[in-house]
Amino acid sequence: MAETQDHKIPVTVLTGFLGAGKTTLLNYILTADHGRNYAVVVNEFGELGIDNDLVVDADEEVFEMNNGCICCTVRGDLIRILGRLLRRRGRFDGIIVETTGLADPAPVAQTFFVDEGIREKAKLDAVVTVVDAYNVVQTLKESDEAVNQVAFADVLVLNKCDLLEGDALTAVEAKLRAINNVAHIHRAERGKIALEAILNRGGFDLNRALTTMPDFLEDEEHHSHDHDHDHDHDHGHDHDHHHGHHAHGPGGHHHAHSEDVTSHSFIVKEPLDQERFQAWIGLVLQEQGPDILRAKGILHFKGEARRFAFQAVHMMADGDFIGEAKAGEAAQSRIVFIGRKLDRAQLQRGFEGCVAV
Amino acid sequence: MSNPLSKTLLQSRGAERCFEAPITAVSVTRDGETLAAQTMDGEVILIHRDEVRKADAWRVVPVHDGAISFTQACGAQSFLSGGEDGRVVEIASDGTLAERYKGSGWVDCLASTSTHWACASKKEVRLYAADGAEPLKLLEHPSALSGLSFDAKGKRLAASHYNGVSLWYVQSKDATVRSLEWKGSHTGLCIHPGGEALVTSMQENELHGWRLSDAHNMRMSGYPRKIGSLSFTRTGRWLATSGADAAVLWPFFGGGPMGKAPMELARLPGLFVTCVCAHPQEDILAIGFEDGTVLLAEIAETAATSGNDRILPLCNGQRSGGVARGAVTSIAFTPQGGAVIFGTEEGYVGAVDLSAQS
Repeated sequence: MAETQDHKIPVTVLTGFLGAGKTTLLNYILTADHGRNYAVVVNEFGELGIDNDLVVDADEEVFEMNNGCICCTVRGDLIRILGRLLRRRGRFDGIIVETTGLADPAPVAQTFFVDEGIREKAKLDAVVTVVDAYNVVQTLKESDEAVNQVAFADVLVLNKCDLLEGDALTAVEAKLRAINNVAHIHRAERGKIALEAILNRGGFDLNRALTTMPDFLEDEEHHSHDHDHDHDHDHGHDHDHHHGHHAHGPGGHHHAHSEDVTSHSFIVKEPLDQERFQAWIGLVLQEQGPDILRAKGILHFKGEARRFAFQAVHMMADGDFIGEAKAGEAAQSRIVFIGRKLDRAQLQRGFEGCVAV
Repeated sequence: MSNPLSKTLLQSRGAERCFEAPITAVSVTRDGETLAAQTMDGEVILIHRDEVRKADAWRVVPVHDGAISFTQACGAQSFLSGGEDGRVVEIASDGTLAERYKGSGWVDCLASTSTHWACASKKEVRLYAADGAEPLKLLEHPSALSGLSFDAKGKRLAASHYNGVSLWYVQSKDATVRSLEWKGSHTGLCIHPGGEALVTSMQENELHGWRLSDAHNMRMSGYPRKIGSLSFTRTGRWLATSGADAAVLWPFFGGGPMGKAPMELARLPGLFVTCVCAHPQEDILAIGFEDGTVLLAEIAETAATSGNDRILPLCNGQRSGGVARGAVTSIAFTPQGGAVIFGTEEGYVGAVDLSAQS
């Protein structure tokens, strides 16, 4: 699997609410001197204002797959456009797909699970969500789509940070963390950010699952599963160490949509029974798939030296064995769910019930 | 040299040449005198019927920066080519170029008869008379277009898109549409030569069809892979498709395809068919595989008589020790079936003279 993934073209999904600064960021990516070429699939053609033959105009055309999976929607236009872009070789190093401000990122991600032609030649690298630090708290209150975009992200680019004071910014980050406690947060001004922070992240790469599962899980042990502690890290530089915690938000009272979406992470220290786990996760995705935006896990099965990496988008899951744990690494299993209406206690019981007897 | 009998037909009666980009499509002029292939980079390769075996004599004409769609033109001696540059260019068999349309979006599909041609870009189809500089009609669709085809008589133009197909009457004064609806993503289409049915390929490894007399729905499924190629045999008796490790043929007679099992032709276990093209005069199917194998197979009268298929290989693919030319993407016969051209994903173009040896 590692060999076949290496020559696959990485695809970055760039989401973000209207006015968050997606276009500025795109312009920066296309013009910055990083020695790499990116093809960009955009939706609001012309806004970009860049004459580049690798910018392709698309209409977001979402349709339901006929496979009995109720939440399985994919982007037909992407299948068509990526199918073409990927056939002409050597023109670019990666593809960036920009979604419209109101778009749900799930259909884009699911397209990569569903279409065999795309799967063969491209790999979904990461969902990058651009957030307007100044307005995001309000936007999250008013819009489910904005909450979804934050929940879905592997990377959150916090833009317009210059408009907020340090404390307010920390509060905004706390708000984002409450929704998604696994994404890497990067602060930016006018879309300027180190490109390695957003491109080639491997957010969906099972082989890199370990590096994309942040340390927060260990922290939970010390914080008895409520991961509600202070946050004092500086995210302005390349420092991928984040702690999950609930937000109280700058205003103190937020009982709007964003409160629905939560991250739940669990650790089990005993080896799991593979069959039990597969049966349990299958059931969880089947029953709660529509409410689960993202799930990721690194698992240790009894009698198996290799670790198993797992990820899901709604009901679509993908899993494979990755390398063995290094000596000294705890043989624990970790899993995280980001979604709505998730019953934390039930998920925890279910996960713990997968322990091999 | 080796025993001439051990040569493939491609070696003994044809030639092949490798280009730098995948071959998007191959085609033949209406007079059958010129064969052509289009590369994804935007070149068109012109092959005169008499020079099928002389690959060095094939002409390469740069047309677009990035090409997408290709077909024969209305006239007897030219082709139409659509590109990422938003242009439709007519290419005469002598290599002369004439721009027929210039828009801003990719020209995703092209179709023609001897009297009309049409191109699709995004959600819009433009229908032209053979020599018209301005379109007769601009046909708007609910979503982006994936396939475009005139019926055999040239009276109707069908365009596939999400949730179905739009059927337009070429001659009608007003642009009234007949909508054939079926939820989902339709990725290409094919019309029965007798006008009895219209079939689309779908994102979900299956076909959907409509009987045109009453819009009755037909569903043809069971494929292990996505179906990229559809071709009705000359009488419309069978619909041949890719998508399995054999050519899959659905019977369009005796009440079929509803409730009938399809017939398999030229099965090479584990090797998938990527392209099919029915011979214009005989019950023969050209079949291209994912490893670059191309063969001709005789189509049995009925499924009952199939099984001892008569098969004539044109060239061996990588699996059987042949050239690693990649998956076959497109195949076309001359109108009388005396020559065949194919193109592949790795940029190979092959042409074979099938006529009686002179």
